[in-house]
Amino acid sequence: MLRALDLEASGKFREAAPIFRAALRATPTAGALLGLERVYAELHMSDSLLPPLDSLIARRPREPLYRSVKLRTLQILRRDDQLRAAFEQWTRDLPRDPAPYREYARVLIQLGRPAAADSIVQRGRAALGSARDLQYETAQLRAAMGQWTASATAWRAALATAPHLANAAAYALAPTPNATRDSVRVALSAPPAEPGARRGLAELELLWGRPQAAWEAMRALPADTASATVWEEFGERAMEDERYALARDALRAALNARRTPALAVRAATAAARAGTPQDVFVIAPLSEVEGDPARAARDYVPVHVDALAALGRAADADALVRRYDRWLAPGQRMRLAQLVATAWVRAGDLGRARAALASVGPDADSSEAAGWLALYEGRLGAARVLLRAARDPSPDLALALGIVSRTRGDSAPELGAGFLALARRDSAAAAATFVAAAAQHPEVASALLLAASRLHSARGDAAGAIALWGRIVAESPDSPEAAEGELEWARALRRRGDRAGAAAHLEHLILSAPRSALLPQARRELELVRGAVPPGS
Amino acid sequence: MKLLSQLRRAAAAAALLALSAVPARAQRLLIPMDDGQTDQLKAYGLTYNAMKGGLQAEWLLNYRGGSFLLPDVPALRRQASLDGIAVEPVSDQQLTALRRELAGGNMESVPLEKAPRIAVYSPPDAAPWDDAVTLALKYAGIEFTPIYDDEVERGDLSKYDWIHLHHEDFTGQFNKFQLGYRDAPWFRELVAKSAASAKRLGFASVPGLKKDVAEHIRAFVERGGFLFAMCGATETLELAIAGHDVDIAGEFADGSPMDLDADARMNWKRALAFKDAHLEHSPFVNSMSDIDGHQVNVPGRRQPLGTFTLFNFSAKFDPVPSMLVQNHRSVINDFYGVTTSFTKATLKPGDVVLATEEGAPWVKYIHGDYGKGTWTYLGGHDPEDPQHAVGNPPTDLSLHKSSPGYRLILNNVLFPAAKKKPLKT
Repeated sequence: MLRALDLEASGKFREAAPIFRAALRATPTAGALLGLERVYAELHMSDSLLPPLDSLIARRPREPLYRSVKLRTLQILRRDDQLRAAFEQWTRDLPRDPAPYREYARVLIQLGRPAAADSIVQRGRAALGSARDLQYETAQLRAAMGQWTASATAWRAALATAPHLANAAAYALAPTPNATRDSVRVALSAPPAEPGARRGLAELELLWGRPQAAWEAMRALPADTASATVWEEFGERAMEDERYALARDALRAALNARRTPALAVRAATAAARAGTPQDVFVIAPLSEVEGDPARAARDYVPVHVDALAALGRAADADALVRRYDRWLAPGQRMRLAQLVATAWVRAGDLGRARAALASVGPDADSSEAAGWLALYEGRLGAARVLLRAARDPSPDLALALGIVSRTRGDSAPELGAGFLALARRDSAAAAATFVAAAAQHPEVASALLLAASRLHSARGDAAGAIALWGRIVAESPDSPEAAEGELEWARALRRRGDRAGAAAHLEHLILSAPRSALLPQARRELELVRGAVPPGS
Repeated sequence: MKLLSQLRRAAAAAALLALSAVPARAQRLLIPMDDGQTDQLKAYGLTYNAMKGGLQAEWLLNYRGGSFLLPDVPALRRQASLDGIAVEPVSDQQLTALRRELAGGNMESVPLEKAPRIAVYSPPDAAPWDDAVTLALKYAGIEFTPIYDDEVERGDLSKYDWIHLHHEDFTGQFNKFQLGYRDAPWFRELVAKSAASAKRLGFASVPGLKKDVAEHIRAFVERGGFLFAMCGATETLELAIAGHDVDIAGEFADGSPMDLDADARMNWKRALAFKDAHLEHSPFVNSMSDIDGHQVNVPGRRQPLGTFTLFNFSAKFDPVPSMLVQNHRSVINDFYGVTTSFTKATLKPGDVVLATEEGAPWVKYIHGDYGKGTWTYLGGHDPEDPQHAVGNPPTDLSLHKSSPGYRLILNNVLFPAAKKKPLKT
């Protein structure tokens, strides 16, 4: 068998076929039969599978695999009459078995004959006295017929005994039109809350672009260990998708049902990334690992220091690191020192930030944090070297590198002051400093003005942003920032309802910067402004 | 704000460079329509608006996917840049070589002279995204006027050269949607508004009004108008015209059951495209007749989608059907609609089949003459939404800039502009 599988994997189907055949004659295992089915299909010799299948069925008439493979083979060969006959023979041989109805209905659905599949399911229901064993097929064929609410009801029943089909349910119901989606939601979310149906609904909501509703579907499950597993999986997926608030909520719910230190740290990490660092101290309190300082240092302290740094509580962060210093690994110590330095920066104390880095030795001088400190102090030469080596591709880093790499000279204290204000989350001061710095650094003026305009825009100061976009377009028309600024300007005007103004800027952008990478976006905006495509699409 | 006023002045100056301006150079702009084109759909809008501005265009049938040749004027270049349409300048020397190539193969240059005046029959409150043709016209930047029962009844059809119908049910049975949407708010509103319209315009029922509208449309074509219909409008227009003197609507629509001998009393001589079709008498079966081959809303009869192939006509001898099938693809994925296809058995002998599914008993795209005018029918609802269902989000054509199905729609918009030659085959 292994030899046959190797030959099949290397595409030598003709050589693999006799080995599978011999194996099937000796011991009719599922592996041998399915292998022979695959290689015959590749060789367009599926009809050769029928004689051995008939022998196997004669020897073991109760084995459903042989019958299913026979139906599949006849389907491939498009022998509709024989397909029907094989199904009828199966029902005669095993009149109380749901398998023939199930398998034949599936084949008919795949053939695009949902009405015929429906009649088989109805026949099965009559023969078996219940549709309990045919819910999956009923659900699939109702979806194929566009009967979405009936399909959802059948899925609900099928998922009660087969929760692993939640993804299949979601994909089958995904094409439900908007007008009918609420009734699908009702069918899947009706009490009692069952894991399969709720998972199916959550997957469906994700496919429909409603992640928050997906979590609401999951949240209603009873808080037990089974739900904890489902919530944890959901939370981890949300983390991967960078939906940190959802991840925080799901992991926290899982934690309440099944508390483990690892889960607590994951939930706390999600909370920190979701912008709620104060939650970290509640979700993963240090008190619960007091007896195991090594574990606390390894798992809990980093997320706590991260949260303290985000809150600007530099002294607390520093004290925490000192308290657990003896249990910290060297690499970890460096990372925590950088976080403490960031906290001091946020607190406005560059001296202590430098001292925090120096405390972990000379390696800290070549770190990303040292690069940021150099930038804040206006030492552009050092900042260029150190930030280029940074591994964390954050938007802040992209902005800093974009500016320092274009600025002439190695010293620019006014630029550093702007970035320092940004690090301290004083966006008004940062914007004003960038605008002032633009006058002193014409070589990078457009980038500084664009950075300042974005800060104005983020603060809701549209007038301030527009004034800066106007300067960029007028004073630096050939810079890459001119296209960027004009696109943002047009978007701001469109948001305010000034379609004519937006169109004028978009047309100017397209015609004046025909090689800009932003052209597809500009054309897209222009289509929306003109009403040439559906709104909101 | 100073810059904005400068921009506005620049836009005004560009507008002054009217499309009728004298070409800057003795050159033309070739608008390729093969895979070298970056936005096939907007290219139709550029050509239409060039004609509308008084410029003469040429349609180069079968040349690089059915390209267009326009004068090289700054306003067209500007519009092409804004819309992302690929254009190629052609010198006089290159043009001579191009014409030599056209003469040597199954290709032809057709002058496009006058932009047709376009009307789309659609309810006053319908969004343009509800109809593939209005979607295409909006996207391409081609102006159209929505008209509905009031305008048709007061004779406004004479103001237009070209009219489009989409999923209107001219039998007045609301596409039999009462079977699945009886209680849906949008359906109840549709029924109430239609009944009020019928009453206001002096008809006893919605079927009565729709039959009269169908009669106006038939007369419009007979007098020389161009009709392009898609989806359920194709089939129901024909049923309403052939059933002019027969009750073909179910009791739920007009209060009386369909005539028992309705089939036998249909007058197919009055119809444009079909003959000898059989009506669906059951009000509980969501089908109108056996004209539609796919029967998408009847579970037991629904046929799967395949692909359809455009017929390759002689550009020199059959320029009209050639224009209607210009495309950069000859095989196109099928798409459902209330009426998806047309069974061969119900086609009149003079119908020109433009696209068909190999081996199937139906065709997809047909055309013919009627009186002094022409009609063209394309089955299906939306070429880029093959399974379209009520409530589905609208198609965003900026994601389908090269849609071969939508090109068929836009071919129909331009072909009335052609200086026609008689059909020779």
